[in-house]
Amino acid sequence: MIDLRISNCNKNYGSLRVLKDINLEIERGEFIVLLGPSGCGKSTLLHIVAGLDRLSAGAIEIGGRDVTDVEPKDRDIAMVFQSYALYPTMSVRSNMEFGLRMRGKPMSEIRPLVEEKARMLHIDHLLDRRPSQLSGGQRQRVAIGRALVRDPKVFLFDEPLSNLDAKLRASMRTEIKKLHQSLGTTAIYVTHDQLEAMTLATRMVVMKAGEIQQVGKPEEVYHRPVNLFVADFLGNPGMNFMKGHLRLEGGRVSADVGAATIPLDGYAFDTAPTDGQAVVVGLRPESVQPSTGGEPFALTLKPTLIEHTGSDNLVVLAMGGEEIVGKFPSDMLPTLGEPVTVGFDLSRLSVFDAQTERRI
Amino acid sequence: MRRFLQRHVSQVALSPSLALIAIFLYGFIAYTAAVSTTNSKAFPRFDTFVGLEQYWRLFHTPRWHVAFTNMFLFGGLFLLVTISLGLLIAILIDQRIRAESFFRSIVMYPMAMSFVVTGIIWQWLLNPTLGIEVMMHQLGFESFRLDWLTNPDTVIWALVVAAFWQGCGLVMALFLAGLRGIDEDIWKAAAVDGIPAWRVYVFIVIPMLAPVFLTVVVLLSLSIVRAFDLVVALTNGGPGVSSDLPSVFMFDMAFRRTNLGLSAASAVVMLGTVLAILIPYLYIETRERA
Ligand SMILES: Nc1ncnc2c1ncn2[C@@H]1O[C@H](COP(=O)(O)OP(=O)(O)OP(=O)(O)O)[C@@H](O)[C@H]1O
Ligand SMILES: [Mg+2]
Repeated sequence: MIDLRISNCNKNYGSLRVLKDINLEIERGEFIVLLGPSGCGKSTLLHIVAGLDRLSAGAIEIGGRDVTDVEPKDRDIAMVFQSYALYPTMSVRSNMEFGLRMRGKPMSEIRPLVEEKARMLHIDHLLDRRPSQLSGGQRQRVAIGRALVRDPKVFLFDEPLSNLDAKLRASMRTEIKKLHQSLGTTAIYVTHDQLEAMTLATRMVVMKAGEIQQVGKPEEVYHRPVNLFVADFLGNPGMNFMKGHLRLEGGRVSADVGAATIPLDGYAFDTAPTDGQAVVVGLRPESVQPSTGGEPFALTLKPTLIEHTGSDNLVVLAMGGEEIVGKFPSDMLPTLGEPVTVGFDLSRLSVFDAQTERRI
Repeated sequence: MRRFLQRHVSQVALSPSLALIAIFLYGFIAYTAAVSTTNSKAFPRFDTFVGLEQYWRLFHTPRWHVAFTNMFLFGGLFLLVTISLGLLIAILIDQRIRAESFFRSIVMYPMAMSFVVTGIIWQWLLNPTLGIEVMMHQLGFESFRLDWLTNPDTVIWALVVAAFWQGCGLVMALFLAGLRGIDEDIWKAAAVDGIPAWRVYVFIVIPMLAPVFLTVVVLLSLSIVRAFDLVVALTNGGPGVSSDLPSVFMFDMAFRRTNLGLSAASAVVMLGTVLAILIPYLYIETRERA
C-alpha cells in the first residue's frame, strides 16, 4: 500500500531549478533516507512533502489523498528539525501537548499520551523543564516526542542528529531504528551522514543537484551504484577507480587498465560491452585484501602510504601511474615500499562507461 | 620608568579620559549634590548651608509635584503606546511584505530629527488654527476638535504622540531585529503543529523577545527622564504648568527663578530616578552574562 506518492515534483526559485521531476513512491512502513551532498535539494523536497514550501509543478499524495494544496497541519505528518525547533518559552510537557491542544483533543486524552511517549523516549523525568535546561541529546528526544504524540501517517526528519556529537549520534541512531521497528510508521529521513543512511534506511534515495540518482536498498546502492556519482559519493574511503578500455577476445571480456588486465568473465553487464569501449572500473577498498593465495585475481603492488584507523589499516598501493586503496585487517601491516600480493574480489566490481558515467 | 610604561601602557593611555570623566561627570555630580544642600540663589554659595531643607521645599512645591507626576504619567503612556505600536509595526513588517525597506525607512525617519524639530512640527500640526483641525474642517468635518495643546487635561497626550512619533522607529528596529533572529524552524514546527500565527506570536515569539523588551524599556525610560527639548519646543510646560516635566522644572529654577539650590535638589532626585531604573537592569544584564 502506497503511503506517500511524489509525482513529477518540480521546484524553482526564480530561474534556479532546485528539484527536477522527482518521482517517488513510498510504501507503508518504509524508512526512506534521502542522501546527497549539501545543496542538492533534500530539505526542499522534505519541506514540500510537509507543505512548508509550495511546489512549482507536480503533486503530492499522502495516504491516497491528494494534499498538494493542503496546509501542513492537515497533512497528517510530523516533522523533526535539525535545530530541534522546540518552543523555548514552554516546558517540555507543553511543547509536546501544544499541537494536540490546537487540534482540540481533550486534556484527559493528551496527558496520558504525552506521558506514555515521554517514558518511551526516557524523558519522563524532564517533563517540567524548559528546553534551555536540557542537553542536545535530550532536546532532540523531546523534538522526537513532540512528533510521536501526533501519531502521524508520515514522519519527516531533517538531519535530526547532525548537531550531536559522534557518540550520542550513534546511540540516537539505534534508538530511532528501534522506534521505527516498534511503531512501523512511514518515515522520510534526510541526512548527509552515510553511516546513518546505511543503517537506518529500508530504502535509500541518492540525490544530486535536484535529481534522484538511485533508489534502492542500502546494500544494493552501495554494491551496485548506477553511476560514477553514486559510487564516488558512498563509502569512506571512497571507491577505487581505474580508467581503461574493454577488450573483447574470443567471447571473453576483460578491462585493460594500464598496469593490469582485469578479467570480467563473472561480471553481469547491464548493457552489451563493445571492444575498445572507454570504461572506469570501480572496486571498493574492502575488496582489495592481502592475498591468501586462493583468489582468481591477484597483483603484487608496492605500498606507498599506510593509515591506521584502529579497526583496520588503509594501505595506499601504487598501481601503474595511479594509486588504489586497500582496507587491510589491523593485524596485517605491510612494510612501506616492500611489494605485497593483494587479491581483488572481482564479484564486487562495478564497471562504468567513461563517457556517460553510467554503470554498464 | 620604561618598564613601568611597558607594563601599564593601557592604563596610561586611558588615564586622561578617565580623569576627564572623573572631573566632569562624577565631579559635577558631587558638586550638584553639594549645591543642593545650600541656599544658593543665582550663584553657588557654600556659606549658606541648609542641610536637606531644599529637598523638603522641593517636595512641598506644587509645581514639582505636577512635574514629577507628569513624568510618570507621560512615561507610562509613552512606554505603553510606543512599545505596543512599535511591536505591532515590527510584526507587520516581519510578514515579508513587499517594499519592506521603504516602510522601514518611513518609520525610522523621525529618529533622525532632533526633539526640537519634532516639537515644532507637532506644535503646528496640533495648533487649532493651523494644523490637523483646520484640515479636517476644510474636509467638511466641522465639528472636529483637537485642542490637546490648549487643554491642561489632555496636553500630556500631545507630548506622548510627538515622543512616540520620534521613538517608534528605534523600538520597531529593535523588535524587528529580535523577530528576525528567531529560528525559522520554530515557525515551521508551529505550522506543522497547526498553531495559528497570532498564537505563535503571543505564546512563543513575544516571550522569546523578553531581552529586547528589557532593552527597549530602559532606553525609553532614560529618554523620559531626560525629556526636555521636546516639552520646551512643543508646549513650553503649558498651559500653565500642566505639562511640566522635572527637567523643565530644573532648568526653570536654575536659570529663570535664580533658585540654584532647589534646582540642584531636583537634579539629584532625577539622578536617583535614573539609577533606580538602571541598577536593576545592569544587575540583570551582568547576571545573565555571568
Ligand atoms: N528560499 C530560497 N531561495 C532561493 N534558493 C533557495 C531557497 N532555499 C533553498 N534554495 C536553494 O535550493 C538548493 C537546495 O537547498 P536545500 O536546502 O534543499 O539543500 P539540502 O540538500 O537540504 O542541503 P543541506 O545538506 O546543506 O541541508 C540550494 O542550492 C539552495 O541554495
Ligand atoms: Mg538541508
